[in-house]
Amino acid sequence: MNTPLVSCSNCMTPLMGDVFNRSDLTPCPACGRLLQVEIFPALFRRIEAGREGEAVIEETESSCFYHPQKKAVLPCDACGRFLCALCDCEVSGRHLCPACIEIGVTKGKMQNLENHRTLYDSLALTLAIVPTLLVFGACFTIFTSPLAIYLAIRHWNTPTSIVRRTKARHVLAIVFGVTTLAGWIAYVVFMRYTVTHSTPVRR
Amino acid sequence: MPTETKKYRRMPGTGMGYALRSTLWLGEDHLLSIRSSGYSEDYKRFYFGDIQAIVIRQTQTGRIINGVLSAFAVVSLMAALTTSAGVNIFWYIVTGVFVSFLLLNTLLGPTCVTHLRTAVQSEDLQSLRRLHRARKVLARMRPLIARAQGQLSPAEIPARMTELAKPPVQSTPAATTATAPDAHAAAPTTATQPSAPQSQ
Repeated sequence: MNTPLVSCSNCMTPLMGDVFNRSDLTPCPACGRLLQVEIFPALFRRIEAGREGEAVIEETESSCFYHPQKKAVLPCDACGRFLCALCDCEVSGRHLCPACIEIGVTKGKMQNLENHRTLYDSLALTLAIVPTLLVFGACFTIFTSPLAIYLAIRHWNTPTSIVRRTKARHVLAIVFGVTTLAGWIAYVVFMRYTVTHSTPVRR
Repeated sequence: MPTETKKYRRMPGTGMGYALRSTLWLGEDHLLSIRSSGYSEDYKRFYFGDIQAIVIRQTQTGRIINGVLSAFAVVSLMAALTTSAGVNIFWYIVTGVFVSFLLLNTLLGPTCVTHLRTAVQSEDLQSLRRLHRARKVLARMRPLIARAQGQLSPAEIPARMTELAKPPVQSTPAATTATAPDAHAAAPTTATQPSAPQSQ
């Protein structure tokens, strides 16, 4: 942020005076747009400078795993390595080292640091249903249905949305996919039966 | 590392823009903003302890939409009144559709834009485009933020804002010297415990 002050979201004029924390809408002193501005104590909190690790003075002192010249202040809550103040990252009340955070993010084990998820269940369900609804899409279902079943089974345990927990889309994708495939098999069998059992035309 | 599980509660409002659907969810200690394309989701977390300000600004968008819908409704009603029987049924249906949207837009109330500010960003909360919803969400968040940060009495706001407006005192170069960045770059990135170079 360039300015520590709160500004009007329309004219960008820094707001002062009695526009803050009012229960009703107040006009912006500069542009007159109606605003409700709620400020909190964090606005006045000073941002502390990043901590540096203290240098090891005596050889008997424990040192940081990553910076052997720095004094260790605590162990990592996940791997137990000794960390200096610089390497200590506090995440949700736990003190972790940068390597454990990276592993946690990569493996999706730290939900608080996740910023993206692919919804394979929605993808599978779309592949199972949408082509059947299209005019010429039905002929593609011979390809999309197995793909939908594969995606639903392959990503059965992959975390879906961070706020949605059910497996309903997986189940629906499998049901629709299997039904469509069964329809295709029935069609092929029927066509084969019709061709082989059709009576020859006599002249 | 154990999996952290958090329960989220849905906040009012849904925002649509550029094929992305925006929603807000209330977590234990943060507000979660989700932008979903239907096949992927992007998350942003705003911890209650970090929220500096919420700015709601009323906009004229709702009135403009009402004006446009009214104009279309009047035109289609005129068409219904002037066309012959049979054809006018179509125009009455069109008028009904426009009037329905007009009523819906009026019932949803005035429009607004909502910005949430932290120390490092100002985020436009796209799901809060209606004034009453934005104020409802603000009312739900206020006690949670107060629990995380403490209360700010109205009497102390002017003095603290004046203090904040003053230019910051320049700190000495020695106090702001950062640690060499290559010290961290040299750190290993795997969790496998190599031979410890220190006395642990």
